[in-house]
Amino acid sequence: MSSDRSDADDEEPPALVSTEISLNLEGLQLSKAPITIVTGYLGAGSACETSSPCSETLLFMLIATETTLLNYILTEQHSKKIAVILNEFGNSSDIEKSLTVQRDGQQVEEWLELANGCICCSVKDMGVAAIEKLMERRGKFDYILLETTGLADPGNIAPMFWLDEGLQSTIFLDGIVTLVDAANIVRTLEDQEASSKDDETGAVVTTAHLQISHADVVVINKADLVTQEEIEVIKQRIAGMNGLARIIVTERGKVDNLGEWLLDLRAYENVGELKTPVRTRLDETISTVSLELPELEEGMLDSLDAWIRSLLWEAEVPGSSKKPGDRDSRKQPILDIHRLKGRVITKTGKVLLIQGVRETFEIFDAPDQNSAMKAEGKLVLIGRGLRDVDVKESLEWFLSRGRES
Amino acid sequence: MTTAKRLCIGVACANPISTLQCPTCLKLGKESFFCSQDCFKTSWVTFSYSPFGLALGLSPYAHYSYSPLNRRDGRRGFRKWLSTGYRLTSLKSEHKIVHKQSARKNPTLLQSLKDLTKPTPLPTDSETGIFDPFPNFPYTGSIRPAYPLSLTRKLPPSIRRPDYSEDGVPRSEQNRGSPKNITILNAEEIEGMRKVCRLAREVLDICAAAVRPGVTTDELDEIAHKACIERDSYPSPLNYVNFPKSICTSINEVICHGIPDQRKLVNGDIINLDITLYHGGFHGDLNETYYVGDKAKANPDTVRVVETSRDCLDEAIKLVKPGMLFRDPGNVIEKLAKQRNCSVVRTYIGHGINQLFHCNPNVPHYAKNKAVGVAKPGMCFTIEPMINLGTHKDTTWPDKWTSTTTDGKMSAQFEHTLLVTEDGVEVLTARFPDSPGGKTPIPGIGRNVEGGDK
Repeated sequence: MSSDRSDADDEEPPALVSTEISLNLEGLQLSKAPITIVTGYLGAGSACETSSPCSETLLFMLIATETTLLNYILTEQHSKKIAVILNEFGNSSDIEKSLTVQRDGQQVEEWLELANGCICCSVKDMGVAAIEKLMERRGKFDYILLETTGLADPGNIAPMFWLDEGLQSTIFLDGIVTLVDAANIVRTLEDQEASSKDDETGAVVTTAHLQISHADVVVINKADLVTQEEIEVIKQRIAGMNGLARIIVTERGKVDNLGEWLLDLRAYENVGELKTPVRTRLDETISTVSLELPELEEGMLDSLDAWIRSLLWEAEVPGSSKKPGDRDSRKQPILDIHRLKGRVITKTGKVLLIQGVRETFEIFDAPDQNSAMKAEGKLVLIGRGLRDVDVKESLEWFLSRGRES
Repeated sequence: MTTAKRLCIGVACANPISTLQCPTCLKLGKESFFCSQDCFKTSWVTFSYSPFGLALGLSPYAHYSYSPLNRRDGRRGFRKWLSTGYRLTSLKSEHKIVHKQSARKNPTLLQSLKDLTKPTPLPTDSETGIFDPFPNFPYTGSIRPAYPLSLTRKLPPSIRRPDYSEDGVPRSEQNRGSPKNITILNAEEIEGMRKVCRLAREVLDICAAAVRPGVTTDELDEIAHKACIERDSYPSPLNYVNFPKSICTSINEVICHGIPDQRKLVNGDIINLDITLYHGGFHGDLNETYYVGDKAKANPDTVRVVETSRDCLDEAIKLVKPGMLFRDPGNVIEKLAKQRNCSVVRTYIGHGINQLFHCNPNVPHYAKNKAVGVAKPGMCFTIEPMINLGTHKDTTWPDKWTSTTTDGKMSAQFEHTLLVTEDGVEVLTARFPDSPGGKTPIPGIGRNVEGGDK
């Protein structure tokens, strides 16, 4: 028996005291904690050659740009409890993961406990389960920042945290923030060697492309190191790739009204104003396409769902001009949708929203049916291969076919 | 936005909190809400048989020296203890210790090492030698682990093994790729799946025939293990991510992944036997829940949860044909379960199966999921709904496998491996005419189970 037991027997528990803090039990209910994926490109270098995007060896690899900004976030948000997770998830072989928790102005290191469990038939990623466990133990975090390594493809990580409502998780995906280095980004986007290896068409897709195409916010950092003209070119190029992302320019990792820009994005709940993207041809690989959606009969929602499935799951653009049999697979351009947002107005006046990241998507009733956003139906697609196909014609054809049947 | 309810921090308590707080904690500036004085009293001193765990602020029920996962690799277990245990604090410990911990901060490494050398008595049954390795764990129901586990079972070297059989790491499964990439098997591979699934059915039937009051789950494991060897097959669960046994045996409130041990089945129990075989390079996976003795069938609630689970699987299989979306079975399953006043476990889902034990697609059993993929001829996957009498929520024992309901109420499961054919589905693990078990009418619903209720 330990020494702790020896004097335990003769000590009675005291009476509990009632803490009359306004007896507000409702207030003690924990709301869900938002998780923001922070990603950024380190630039070309030896790491690209030695590591795949999912490599476990990248633990604790910190990127100067990101670290500066994250430190800034941690020191600016004194009143908030922010957890910063410094590595990647989805890897089964690591038992513990490190984590930094900002609390009362101090940074506390914590460990995530990853259950062994059955990795493959459990629907929740182990990282998600580990963060939930930690919150059970340490109380709710106000914000969780998941800082991925420089080579991570956020499109692989985001679906893990975009959890089904039915799972009743205590965390939810707030959005993806991508940091780019003003001085290096153009070179990085054109770096042939760092482009994805499985690409057979020759179009260059670097990790930087993937990180920008999935982003809800792009932060152009170290703007002080380049000219104003260069900044404009970078902004144009990014806006041409990802017409939905908010673009922020910072100097030395400092951002004004940080909370407003980087936290509480709710990028997977609201679809925002769905502005029509700028047309530029600065980047040949990734582009944004905006389609107007006519008012749909409720029965047509299934057709719309089927059209999106065809694009996202089969990488096929259904079209009247091509018959299914005679397609030459070699000529078929690679179509890869990274992000999808939309708003559907039905003939009965109901508003539905569409959200998608990579293969995963959802069409759901808009939380706010009376919103002024009701104005028009729209669908915005971000991805590669969108320049080469007429998605507009395809959608119209598909919906008209659905109407006939 | 949904909110999570805050729960009492008392040991093994799942009640919502009241306004009552521990006075000592208040002085220390810590929050500690309990549901009642009684619960606080229970939590004040619990018998602590793993003192170094507590002294370290380690999770109080973790008992690494007896963890099945660390038995074979003690050094790794020790290192893990050093790296994790040192930093964790748990709320659900003996409450008094919480005060001591906050008073003395973290123990020194030297103190921790001293503590480690102390013996750790366990509440062992003096006659049988059976013990609970996690005596401080807040179990949710009456089922307890009955250790020691039997020795790891051996297989003849001639039997073809999956890649994880040596070190427990299923490397071939780790690079799952995009969720839309779902393997389509050719005719020859489909024959391989047919064969292993038939063998798996035979093993399940042999094992199920041995279910009766008094038999231990370890004995069932041995029967299944031998039946696998006779069929030149590897029992897939063995050492899969270090699972210690050849089959999963899940009793009453255990949802799935129960580890066969020394517990004897009792008249009135229900037991799920989950069997997977690896033969000819393919895995075949199925499970069924069986009534133990005549008492189980006499309990209307028990029958309701078991038969609802069976019917949910049958209803879901009716959907399967080319073009079915993998997000659809969950809608059918949850609807039927709700009609029968049961709930659907969300944490564990159906999965693709072929040359790999678990792969794409994911097949959730709950409604409104965002699962990716469309069924096409040549795809193989499982549907395996876990249906509960009470809450759908699950928790896992410190053995890191056994999953139970959080309210301790019963859970039942059925599973088949399915092949999508050109015009429908082939149930590869279908029952034989003489398979043990089978449907029992639900009291109050009558013989016609479909549409007979509400």
